[in-house]
Amino acid sequence: MNLRDKLRAVGGTTGGTRPRQEKEEPRDCRHIEVFREAEEFSGALEVSRDTVSRMTVTELPEPFDPRRILYLDTETTGLMGSGTVAFLVGLGYLTDSGFEVHQFLMRDYDEEPYLLRHVEEGLRRFDMICTFNGAAFDIPLLEGRFLMNRMRGDCLQKPHLDLLHAARRIWKPRLKRCNLGRLEEMILGKPRSEDLPGSQVPQRYFEYLKTKQDYLLQDILDHNAQDIATLCVLLTRMAEMYEHPESIPFSQDVYAMGRALEKFHHPEDARKCFRLAIRGKTAADASAALAHSYRRAGDREQAAKIWRQMIASGRGGVQPYIELAKYQEHVLRDYRGALETTERAILMLGEAALREDGAVQETQNELQYRRRRLKSRLGKE
Amino acid sequence: MNVTQLADQLRRDPRFMENVTRWEVMPARPARTTEYPSWLDDRLKPVLAKRGIHALYTHQAMSVEATHRGEDVVVVTPTASGKTMCYNLPVLSAILQNEDARALYIFPTKALSADQVSELYELIEMMGVDIKTYTYDGDTPAAARKAVRQAGHIVVTNPDMLHSGILPHHTKWVKLFENLRYIVIDEIHTYRGVFGSNLANVIRRLLRLCEFYGSHPRFILCSATIANPKELAETLIGRPVTLVDQNGAPMGERHFVFYNPPVVNRQLGIRQGAIPVTRSISGLLLKNGIQAITFARSRLTVEVLTRYLKDMVRDPLGNAGRVRGYRGGYLPTERREIERGLRAGQVDAVVSTNALELGIDIGGLDACVLCGYPGTIASAWQQAGRAGRRQAASIVFFVASSSAIDQYIVTHPNYFLHQSPENALLNPNNLYILMSHVKCAAFELPFEDGDSFGNAPGMEEMLDYLDEEQIVHHVDGKYHWSAEDFPASEISLRSAAAENFVIIDISDPAHHRVIGEMDRFTAPMLLHENAIYMHEGRQFQVEKLDFDACKAFIRAVDTGYYTDADLNINLSLLDIEKEEQLPRGTGVGLGEIKVTALVTMFKKIRFDTHETLGFGHVRLPETDMHTTAMWWTLPKDLVASVPSDTLKNGMMGVANLLRIVCPLYLMCSPQDIAVVYQVKSPITGEPTLILYDNCPGGIGLSQKAYGARDLLLEKALQVVSDCSCKKGCPSCVGPVGEIGQDGKQTAMYLLRELIR
Repeated sequence: MNLRDKLRAVGGTTGGTRPRQEKEEPRDCRHIEVFREAEEFSGALEVSRDTVSRMTVTELPEPFDPRRILYLDTETTGLMGSGTVAFLVGLGYLTDSGFEVHQFLMRDYDEEPYLLRHVEEGLRRFDMICTFNGAAFDIPLLEGRFLMNRMRGDCLQKPHLDLLHAARRIWKPRLKRCNLGRLEEMILGKPRSEDLPGSQVPQRYFEYLKTKQDYLLQDILDHNAQDIATLCVLLTRMAEMYEHPESIPFSQDVYAMGRALEKFHHPEDARKCFRLAIRGKTAADASAALAHSYRRAGDREQAAKIWRQMIASGRGGVQPYIELAKYQEHVLRDYRGALETTERAILMLGEAALREDGAVQETQNELQYRRRRLKSRLGKE
Repeated sequence: MNVTQLADQLRRDPRFMENVTRWEVMPARPARTTEYPSWLDDRLKPVLAKRGIHALYTHQAMSVEATHRGEDVVVVTPTASGKTMCYNLPVLSAILQNEDARALYIFPTKALSADQVSELYELIEMMGVDIKTYTYDGDTPAAARKAVRQAGHIVVTNPDMLHSGILPHHTKWVKLFENLRYIVIDEIHTYRGVFGSNLANVIRRLLRLCEFYGSHPRFILCSATIANPKELAETLIGRPVTLVDQNGAPMGERHFVFYNPPVVNRQLGIRQGAIPVTRSISGLLLKNGIQAITFARSRLTVEVLTRYLKDMVRDPLGNAGRVRGYRGGYLPTERREIERGLRAGQVDAVVSTNALELGIDIGGLDACVLCGYPGTIASAWQQAGRAGRRQAASIVFFVASSSAIDQYIVTHPNYFLHQSPENALLNPNNLYILMSHVKCAAFELPFEDGDSFGNAPGMEEMLDYLDEEQIVHHVDGKYHWSAEDFPASEISLRSAAAENFVIIDISDPAHHRVIGEMDRFTAPMLLHENAIYMHEGRQFQVEKLDFDACKAFIRAVDTGYYTDADLNINLSLLDIEKEEQLPRGTGVGLGEIKVTALVTMFKKIRFDTHETLGFGHVRLPETDMHTTAMWWTLPKDLVASVPSDTLKNGMMGVANLLRIVCPLYLMCSPQDIAVVYQVKSPITGEPTLILYDNCPGGIGLSQKAYGARDLLLEKALQVVSDCSCKKGCPSCVGPVGEIGQDGKQTAMYLLRELIR
């Protein structure tokens, strides 16, 4: 039995041999340009550094020019590992007259170095990168590809805004899943029809490698160009939201945005959002977050005012009582007031505490402890 | 009472001694030491001194010097001879002198990694230097992985993680690969058979990547005592290695006692069980305050013996912490606690499976009891090596069970003590295994025309084949991975066939759980519907075997019988590699065969009496396996000299004997090899004895057997000649009921003639 037969016996066969393709030495990969009219991108040129800086911890370039953001998206042969290749890289950017997308496609593996060189040159002309999930996927993947081709990948070391994270911070509570297609539909109001499922992309490309029939890749190219344009539209929409939180229809979104702003140390903007979110389902959480924000900033009076309001409107359960009691005891040294607040909290919790809920029990114990301490303080006075 | 006193007492006890087949005393051996090498970083010496180490044992010195000269080294050392120094010293020294230097430690199990890291930590902490040692395995939290990849000076991992977690993601490990100075592989004797063949290919992939990143790491390998450490090491890493096997560590006097439990039923040749005997010997040690480890072969036996010993020492509150069990399945924290207890002397007796056989540091104990032969000489020495003090005497008891191998060992103690022809075999070029790893390698880095992969033959043909199958894509002189799969996830390093059957316990309808897996060639035998499947001593019945989905569903039962499937095996010849005609007229051959296995029925057999209670049918598809085989064709005149029924019985007897001796001399587990006889063989057309590798592609056992064919027959003859039975027993040619009245005599006749 010869080796070939053994290999077939061991590995199974899909039948049929494929003729080795004779191919000329490549000189470049395929380059596709797509131009989009300006109206889709209205407002995009006005996005300011100040606004974007509130969405991310990334240090943004200075001066900041929306035309010098490079939007990047890749199409790949798999999901992980060094055998996964980005066979298509799309780069997009705003111009004064619209939006340009340049797609670089390797028609075979030997065109990869050319593709990477285009990516490198493209990146060099811009100040920052904007992607969707690029921090975890596209950028490390490209870094690996540069490395595998013994090329320097430092062009990728640029300020990077990953819109997946920024979008998740705002929409995850309401939308749960935050992939680009869903955001297009729910946020930008443009559902995509007849889109190629991402899982079929690698198979299509392998089919293309075999047959070199361009039509096989057409919807992948369209999809990629669309994704890149969507990135810019999405960023513009998000910037508008950050600038005008009062125009956001869903209180959940405003509240989530406030939390993100608070986390990234923009307390003033955060409080504005929290105030706007004191309505509907988010009223209690937003009030508490607002008070918490004031307390963190050292403005305990403002915080106390909100706790009082919460108590008056019956929002937020027992927590505002506890916070207020702490404030009365430790800041105002109003032990009588603190005692009264504590006792009201105990009464309020009274019934709930009978249930076998560990957390409630614990709160109740803490309250009782506080009450004893306050009583003894009052006794000493 | 100390060990010497106990040994004296036992030797004066005729009732004990009449069952002792051999009492071997190995004299004490002084330490042989030498000074630290001059190149050793100065920061290391004071730290070693603080741990009471002022010089190196000769084997440590020879090893580190060879490493320093830039050689690849394999160190063969018994348990507790300070082998970790052989790699920790050069590695730490290198990193102290160049903080970019990196090292990769590979241990076969997670428990061992944990043990090694804690020892390294200690040294590093005492020096107060910033050398980062990280374990990278399935338990490493995702958040910590990035730090390990970028900053770990010493990365500790296992073959499985290297294979599927590191190599396929090498671009994230640039720092490691660019600066890799040392690759340490400990316990290499565990890498034999399929596991070793896989690891050898993982190493080929690793070295390929190192070459890409421009690093030239050196290997430091450690092995327990086996016959061919150098050969094993060289096959594993594909390069020549320097062998260091002169142990310089001191050792007190050692007693090695071979104990064969007395025959209790002479007619049936039934002996007293090994468990009750072990119970009394381990109990005797415990009563006399001699710290001992008892090794049992199954987890169940461990539990049973642990309970027996605990019962002996329970305090009024029922506590018996001086006696502990130890096996896989215990939580890591509990294991660490037991190990500490042993080192500190708080635990007097531990009963363990081979989980404690590997190099986990528990210090030297006074005594060791082997309840049954662990299967290979290397394992037996590893286990026995747990007993051994540097100064005082130690004692090892081997208690034989009634199995054929145990009986062979206990009646041939010389085989065990002096002849050590065991080899650890592996075959990195097993086509199944090789092809899987070539795929992984292509995924990691495209092959270029003319690239080699270790010494694997036929690379170009293999890559062209993968190209045809559209798994790789050839363009511009390179083979690029062009499939969507992640090839590393398709191989399990510890078995050859890609797809294993999972065994699912459905006893609790609300909570199905996977309790084990089995390779697809064994599954039809043991997991056919209505088979009784034994797991940790419990019985289960197979309710459903989903052959296509590779799943067996079993339910706990309690029956008085077990099942034994009738396997119909057909062999057909694919290719002859070698063929010879020996002077006596015996033909021998080596080649590739196809083994077609079909299970058609099974027997239900009652426990204890072994009577057949009934039959059942099995409807399963055939399974095919391509593997290597060797065979003996009986000379025509020899065949003519015995009646055909007699010939069949004799051949069956010889086959049974070969089944006993082959695992011993080829150093493999009994299930790695199959021996069959055919009165009219489809392979040769003559009466033939055939031995084949019982795993797809083979791992080289048949080749080895071909080379050792005379030895195997001689040993088979020795077993049957030395056996005290009259006409056959399970310890030699098989019971009379199976081989007939003339089986033993004919088998001996055939063997003598074949050897002549």
